[in-house]
Amino acid sequence: MSPLDRRQFVGRSLALLGSGGVGALTGVELERSDHGESELAAGTLAERAEQRSLAAAVPFDAAHQAGILTPAPAQATFIALDAIAPDRQTLAEALRQLSTRARQLTAGGAYPLLEVDDPPADSGTLGPINAPDALTVTIAFGSSLFDGRYGLTDRRPRRLVEMPNFPNDALDPARSHGDVLVQICAGQRDTVVHTVRELARSVRGALQQRWSIDGFSSARRGPSPRNSPRNLFAFRDGTANPDVEDAALMDRLIWVQPRTTEPAWTAGGTYQVVRTIRMHVEFWDRVGLAEQEEMIGRRRDTGAPLGGSEEFEDPSYELDPQGRRIPLTAHIRLANPRTAQTADQRILRRGFNYDRGFDSAGQLDQGLVFAAFNQDVKRQFTAIQRRLAEEPMVDYITPVGGGYFFAAPGSRRPTDWVGSGLFV
Amino acid sequence: VFAELTARRLLAPVGIALLSCVVAFALFTALGVGVGNGANAAGTAVHGAAPRAIGPLQAYSEADAKRNGAAGVGGAPPVTQLAPLPAAAFAGPIARYKRYSAGQLRIVLEHLAALEGALRTGRLARARTAWRGAYASWLHLGAVYGAFGDLTQAIDGSPGVLAGGVSDPRFTGLHRLERDLWRGAPAGEELSATRRLRGDVRLLLKRLPGVQITPLQYATRAHEILEDAARDLLSGTDVPWSDEGVLATAAGLRATREVIETLRSLLDGREGTIETVDFNLDRLASALASIRREHGGGWPAVDRLSLRENELLDGTLGAALEALDGVPGTLETKVPPTIPSLPNPSR
Repeated sequence: MSPLDRRQFVGRSLALLGSGGVGALTGVELERSDHGESELAAGTLAERAEQRSLAAAVPFDAAHQAGILTPAPAQATFIALDAIAPDRQTLAEALRQLSTRARQLTAGGAYPLLEVDDPPADSGTLGPINAPDALTVTIAFGSSLFDGRYGLTDRRPRRLVEMPNFPNDALDPARSHGDVLVQICAGQRDTVVHTVRELARSVRGALQQRWSIDGFSSARRGPSPRNSPRNLFAFRDGTANPDVEDAALMDRLIWVQPRTTEPAWTAGGTYQVVRTIRMHVEFWDRVGLAEQEEMIGRRRDTGAPLGGSEEFEDPSYELDPQGRRIPLTAHIRLANPRTAQTADQRILRRGFNYDRGFDSAGQLDQGLVFAAFNQDVKRQFTAIQRRLAEEPMVDYITPVGGGYFFAAPGSRRPTDWVGSGLFV
Repeated sequence: VFAELTARRLLAPVGIALLSCVVAFALFTALGVGVGNGANAAGTAVHGAAPRAIGPLQAYSEADAKRNGAAGVGGAPPVTQLAPLPAAAFAGPIARYKRYSAGQLRIVLEHLAALEGALRTGRLARARTAWRGAYASWLHLGAVYGAFGDLTQAIDGSPGVLAGGVSDPRFTGLHRLERDLWRGAPAGEELSATRRLRGDVRLLLKRLPGVQITPLQYATRAHEILEDAARDLLSGTDVPWSDEGVLATAAGLRATREVIETLRSLLDGREGTIETVDFNLDRLASALASIRREHGGGWPAVDRLSLRENELLDGTLGAALEALDGVPGTLETKVPPTIPSLPNPSR
């Protein structure tokens, strides 16, 4: 008997609801209150705002997976899993289950009641009706999945390798790599925690968790909603991201295109780089402001390039070839020199801050879950990372984990699933 | 110092009124974050281990937060009142530090000779003791490893930065021997690694007089030797096999003291930095001494420390670092240059 049989049953039961039907239930909880509408209307503004944001849903089925171009919500967990499935068919079934459960959770809605002597179909931590809460589940594959255990060697995305140890990295294998990466994002922490639990349950016996890291976004504290949120060095992060509304640009920088040297199934997917980067924040806090700003190349308060006054101002490097305004070793200058030659190296960053308490030496363990998407990890991320190898900021950070993954193209319809292209 | 004055005004604690009475002191002294415990008995109100105080703040207002640019609440940062020091003033301190370093390197060589002897006779405990001596003496150099070029990697490099990790042929030096002595190595490998290391240390001793160290590098090392201890040594990152983070912190403290002594006459009378540094280094020294007493007169491995000892060591080290971060600013040799404005912003 396959280790998944029982879950398959549950999965099938849930699937009976169908994602359309489930989605239709989402608004129901908001209106069908036992206490009637008047009490709901009497709730505070804050309560109503929270209810509204809980009701927001991001569709799971689309040409590209959600959680890539969609705006990053406040909460995230990245969880890497290793395949322990005994055979190819069980692996395929587990990946199908993963998508099925993710589709249900992202749509939200009620789950079926089972007989009272059975464990419930859902852990229930969000109540009897799951709110979607802008949940996205993004599924990606590591190079190790293509190592021959499951007959997938000829499906390996051409640029997918194990993330190398860059200079100054201290990668812990127990916090790095993995066969499958699941990126879970939502507005509220409890939604993310619930999703981790439900998804892990849906694939138990086939995919076993290897490492995970929780992240959060800084609140958008202004001055305008457009300003990028801050990382834990207090600098704005993501300012120079390419415009996700520009579909042609996304086709040049993010999505693997059809009819290239890549395997056909990969078209519409993208390479995902995740790096857990410890930031030595106490040390950073003991550095003079001018030195901090020179390391980054931006003002800490406004996020403007040095010499400027507004976050999105062009740093105009061509007018500053000696680095008198923005040092030649500044992070923003090395990461994105804004030249014609480096235009096709740009990546889409979608990182989150993390806080893991403190280490055995009493030092705060805070940092960045760097997450980025790019069409060609060699042409883009690796080229940037090489330029950054000797930036002065390296003394204040230690990359400790993460990996290279390939975020598969989206599931096209409710009967499809992320990764189905691997098995046809 | 101008950075010190600006960067300290970040948070909006509720007890502004309570703080205002210590503001007069706080603006001119970098007070370390203390862990209480009656530390003030040894210090004055000026250099005591009290929590770092922040001056008066402007209240939060949504309008300020939304104002375009939101360039903080106070406009331009205050201008430093200190005249920069002439770079030539550092020549004496750096020369003195180099003489001291040469002495320490000779001690490293003595310990390595003892290590070689212990390895030849197969006495592991004695070999480890010799390694500890060599490592501590190396850390007594403390300052400006970057100035030693590729010899730093050969003598003190970690395997993490090498492509082949611990099996990389370039993994040599003190940590290679640490791995071999605590994990075991094929016969003969430790001996050849020790000989190689002795050669590299001798080479450095020869090069040392010609090593170039800038005033800024030197003043920064006064702060960053112990930053390395906090980041890489107490955490075990750089001493994964021996776990000798306490020994390494004590050695870093000694190196810091040496650098501070060479700079004492330059620091004197500038912003009260030296008084705060002295107070907090003394406090760290007595925390280390009490740990040493408690563990039979030797440095315990980090995992032998009790919870209270860990807290005391981490906390006093942190407070020392909060004091030392004032040193580079106090010893500035130039006024920070004004950054040219970007031409043609769209406004």
